[in-house]
Amino acid sequence: MGLVLFCNFATVRRVSSENAPTGSTPSPLNSTKFIIETHQLCKDFGPQRALDNVTLQIPPGTIGLLGPNGAGKSTFIKCLLNLENPTHGTAKVLGRSIVSENRASRERVGYSPERDCHIGGLPGCDYVAYCGQLSGMSFRAARQRAHEILDLVGMGQERYRSVDSYSTGMKQRVKLAQALVHDPELVFLDEPTNGLDPLGREHILRLIGSLHRELGTSVVISSHLLRDIERICDRVVIIALGRVIEHESMEALASRHRRIVELAPASETERFAGVLRAAGLAVERLSNGHLRVESGDHSVEGLLRLMAENNLPPAEIVANPNALHELFLKSLADANHGNHP
Amino acid sequence: METTLDLSRWRERPRSVAYRRWTIAQLGLRQLLSTRLFRLVLIVAWTAGLLIAASAFVFSQAVSTGGWLETYAAQLGPRFSAIASAIGALILLYPDICVGGLFTLLFWAQSSLALTLSLVALTIVVPGLVTRDRASEALTVYLSRPLTSVDYLLGKLGIVAGVLLLTWTGPLLAGWLLGMVLAPGRDFIVYSLEPLGRALLFNGIGLVSIASLALGVSALTRTSRNTILLWLGLWLIVGGIAQAPNNPEWLRRASFTYDLDQIRKTILKPADALRKAGSSLPLLDRNLARNLQTMGNAVDSGGAAGPLLGLGVIVVLSSAVFFRRLRPE
Repeated sequence: MGLVLFCNFATVRRVSSENAPTGSTPSPLNSTKFIIETHQLCKDFGPQRALDNVTLQIPPGTIGLLGPNGAGKSTFIKCLLNLENPTHGTAKVLGRSIVSENRASRERVGYSPERDCHIGGLPGCDYVAYCGQLSGMSFRAARQRAHEILDLVGMGQERYRSVDSYSTGMKQRVKLAQALVHDPELVFLDEPTNGLDPLGREHILRLIGSLHRELGTSVVISSHLLRDIERICDRVVIIALGRVIEHESMEALASRHRRIVELAPASETERFAGVLRAAGLAVERLSNGHLRVESGDHSVEGLLRLMAENNLPPAEIVANPNALHELFLKSLADANHGNHP
Repeated sequence: METTLDLSRWRERPRSVAYRRWTIAQLGLRQLLSTRLFRLVLIVAWTAGLLIAASAFVFSQAVSTGGWLETYAAQLGPRFSAIASAIGALILLYPDICVGGLFTLLFWAQSSLALTLSLVALTIVVPGLVTRDRASEALTVYLSRPLTSVDYLLGKLGIVAGVLLLTWTGPLLAGWLLGMVLAPGRDFIVYSLEPLGRALLFNGIGLVSIASLALGVSALTRTSRNTILLWLGLWLIVGGIAQAPNNPEWLRRASFTYDLDQIRKTILKPADALRKAGSSLPLLDRNLARNLQTMGNAVDSGGAAGPLLGLGVIVVLSSAVFFRRLRPE
């Protein structure tokens, strides 16, 4: 009975196993083995080293780029787009060298920067179509794709208004639209959900999460919102002090992480804690009444069995809550102590 | 993550770099054409072009055998008829001085007006070249696409070239062509070609120097107001200072309008045309000949080397500013 009730109430979320678009199939265009390849990429601003020997090989997918402020995330993206000239090292985007194939390396790449960027005096649809033309689309194709993309990012009749009059959220949507208008194979998104209301944020996150799965468009998303990254990305790169300190698939990261489960019992929290402790599990009582349990097991099956055997009341179970957050903080701490190469 | 992306795919080969540069120029010109002031400037510029055509037409019809002048003079009596014949004979004897001289003066006047109109039009254009792109971070939009800063420069240069083409070169060529279509003889074409070539050469020099300066000024500040003030300052205030005859030569050379004016005098050679007319044509009135000489002296230039050097420095400085500022911030 208890188990039946539990199944009705329980919500189990697992990092990277359900929401992450694993098993996605890249489009035929995305034939390069790696979308980004860098070798000892360095960028100095005077005496300050913003990127320090970044060597990476990133396969297609949805990639989260994480790091504290000033870590070098934006510089890394700008170097790949040739908006900044690397001081040293080489880089390839979609298999094309950013130096010797300067223009060509950006032909199938989109970019939505963190800061507002628009061409004044143009209505949204004209602006997006113009960006398509700048990428080499004919006027007709650019116009058609502009309207489709604007529909997709949730822009209605306001697309006919001047971009100058847009709210922050609308600017964010139109920025994303201009990055996608030319049907890129790879798109760099710098804080794409900034300034969006919760509904808009949800819509855009769903859209970004679908890009690789449905269109084969790889996404490199830089964000401070770890939950967003955790939800939509299948791979993560953590940068700190200009260096790459982590580069793993979400699945691999989750398996490396301590097994943490957060339990929200419907009642009898104290009995819950007692049973778990008696079973030899480390239990921590959180301020919101939830129980944080550390277990060595990869699945929550053992926990469910324990609850059924002891006739415990139903509970909401969240596996690996804040896994990325913890990993992120740990990686930063390691980087600060020089534990990373 | 159930969002379904119902999209058409774009899998065509991207169009050429020239197309993308043209896209930049086209947008700038389209935005410019939507302003009332620019449309007014265009009306004035093309009216001047039509005036060239009308002047050439009237002149050619007036002096040709059996033309208006001869017919009208015949009605006034034998004396006037003889004068008309003499003028006709002068053109037959001295086509280089008469036809060439007339077109030199027409193109001289047109270049003066067109230069001013171009500068007025550029006052509207200059903030839209680079300033607004820098202020709204639009440079990132351009340079993150398959475009280099040189492509961006050429696209923006296309806007300035378009402005000069619409306000200067277009009316000049259209006026000349229309005048020649209606001309009664080949002499008018042959002897107007040299002044036309010189006018186009000056047009080219003007285009290079004005375009560089406009792009440099536009890249220097981040607000439209400051850019317009800077542009007007360089055009009107520095130009005004350069007009003062007592100022040192280096100071006068700092004005691009002064330099262009000197180059215009050197290239178009209105002084030579007037002096030649005064000295070579067997004019009936000695005062007229003397006046032509005096007018020629008044529009004489001090040579092109100094002004060209001045413009060269302005072009180099402007280009340096442009490329230095052309980095997304």
